Amino acid sequence: MKHLTEEELVAQALREREHRRDDKRADAVEGHLADCAACADSYLVLLSDLAAMKQMTTPVRDQWYGERVWQSIEGSLTAYEQSQRSWWRPVRAGAPVWKGLVYAGACALLMVGAFFAGTQWEHWKQQPPTAKVEHKTPQTKQPIVVVVLDEHLDRSERFLVELKHADLDSPAMASPIRDEARSLLAANKVCREKAAETSDPELSTALDHLDRLLAEAANEPGGLNPRSIAKLQEQMNSDGLLFEVRVLRSRIASRKAAGNIAFKGGTT
Amino acid sequence: MGKNDHEAVRAVLDGDKDAYGALVVRHSHSLFRVAFRITGNEADADDVVQEAFLRGYRKLESFESRANFSTWIYRIAVRCALDRLKSSKGNDRSRVAEETDPELDDVQVADGAASPERLLLSSEIGAMQEAAMRGLSPTERTAFVLRHVEDCSTEQIAAALGIAPNAAKQAVFRAVHKLRHRLSAFKVRI
Repeated sequence: MKHLTEEELVAQALREREHRRDDKRADAVEGHLADCAACADSYLVLLSDLAAMKQMTTPVRDQWYGERVWQSIEGSLTAYEQSQRSWWRPVRAGAPVWKGLVYAGACALLMVGAFFAGTQWEHWKQQPPTAKVEHKTPQTKQPIVVVVLDEHLDRSERFLVELKHADLDSPAMASPIRDEARSLLAANKVCREKAAETSDPELSTALDHLDRLLAEAANEPGGLNPRSIAKLQEQMNSDGLLFEVRVLRSRIASRKAAGNIAFKGGTT
Repeated sequence: MGKNDHEAVRAVLDGDKDAYGALVVRHSHSLFRVAFRITGNEADADDVVQEAFLRGYRKLESFESRANFSTWIYRIAVRCALDRLKSSKGNDRSRVAEETDPELDDVQVADGAASPERLLLSSEIGAMQEAAMRGLSPTERTAFVLRHVEDCSTEQIAAALGIAPNAAKQAVFRAVHKLRHRLSAFKVRI
C-alpha cells in the first residue's frame, strides 16, 4: 500500500477546513485514511500541529488604537479636491447606480448628437453647387422675379391700352401689335410658370387670359387685320383683362414696396 | 457597515479628509491583527497599519464601488506586511547560512535569546512558534498566516499576494512542511 504524502495530508486538512467535499481526490484520501492506520496517525499529528500553530497569540490594542493611528497619519494626508478627481470617479467610488446611468446616457446622447451633426455636415458638404443655387433661389431670385413680373404687367397694360385704342383703319398698327404680342407671349409664358408655383389664383387667371389674347394676336393666320383686332378688343373687354392687369400691377407694386412678396412658396 | 464605508469613501473623495478617520478607526484593529500575525512584531505591525492606511488613502480613487472596503484595505495591509517582512529579512542577522537538513534546503534559526531549552523552561509556546515562523520566507509566512490563521481561501491569498492560486497553495504547503520540521525539532529537544 502506498502511503499518503505530507502534501496530500495537508491538502486534506485544508479541504476539511474549507468544507470542500466535491473533490474525488478527497474521497480517495479519506478512504485511504480509513484503511491505513499509519497514515491516519500521521494525519492526526498533522492536525495537532496545525491546531497548535493556530493558537497564535496576538497583542491586544485598546479601544483608542484607531484614533491614535488616525492622528499619526492625518498630517500626511492632503484632502482630495474636485479638480483632482477623474470624471468617472463617482461611478467607481460607490455612487448610486442611477448616477452611472445618467453619465452613460449623457455620453450616449452626446455621441448621437455628434453623429447627427456629422452626417448633416457631410450632407451639406456633398451637395452640388447647383443645389446650393437652388437653395438660394427663393431668397435671391425673388426680387428679380417680382421686378420681371411688374415690368411684364406694365408692358401688358400698355399693350392692352394700345390694342383697345388701336385705329382699325390704319393697317400700320397691325404689325407692331403682332410683334409686341409675340414678345409678350414669351415673357408671359415664364410668368405663368412662376405663377403656377404660387398659390395666387388671381394672378394665374389673369395671366391665362392674357396668354390666350397674346397667342391669338401673335399667331393670327395671315397677320392682324381690322377684323381680328376688333375681335381681340372684344375679347379683351369681355374678359376685363385690362382691369385685371391694372389691379395686379397695383397689388404687386404695393407689395413690392412692402418687400414682403414671395413669388415662390407663398404670396405674402 | 459596507454601506457606511462606501459613503465615507465618497465623502473623502469629495474633499472631506476627516471621513477617512472613521474608516481608520473602524478597521485599525483588524489590520493590526493580521499585520502582527504576518510580521510577528508589534512595532512592525503598528507601522504596517499606518502604511496600509496611507497607501489606501492615496489609492482611494482606484477603489471600486463593487468591492468591500475592509477586504480592499486588508489586502493592502497584507502587501505592506509582506514588504516589511522582505525588507527585514534582508537585514535579519538571526539567520545563519548552515543547512540543518540538506533535503529541506532550509536554514537554521539561530536565535540565541530563545533557545529550545529556554523555550521549554519558560513554556513560551508562542515564542517557539514565532521562532519556527521566522524560518519561513515572507511569501510562505504570509500565505500560511492567511490560510491557517485568517482562514482565507486559496484564491483570496493569491489575490492578496499577487500570485497564481497554485503558487499560493504551494507556498502554504511549503510553510506547513517547514513549520512541522522546526516544531518537531523543538519537541525532540523538549
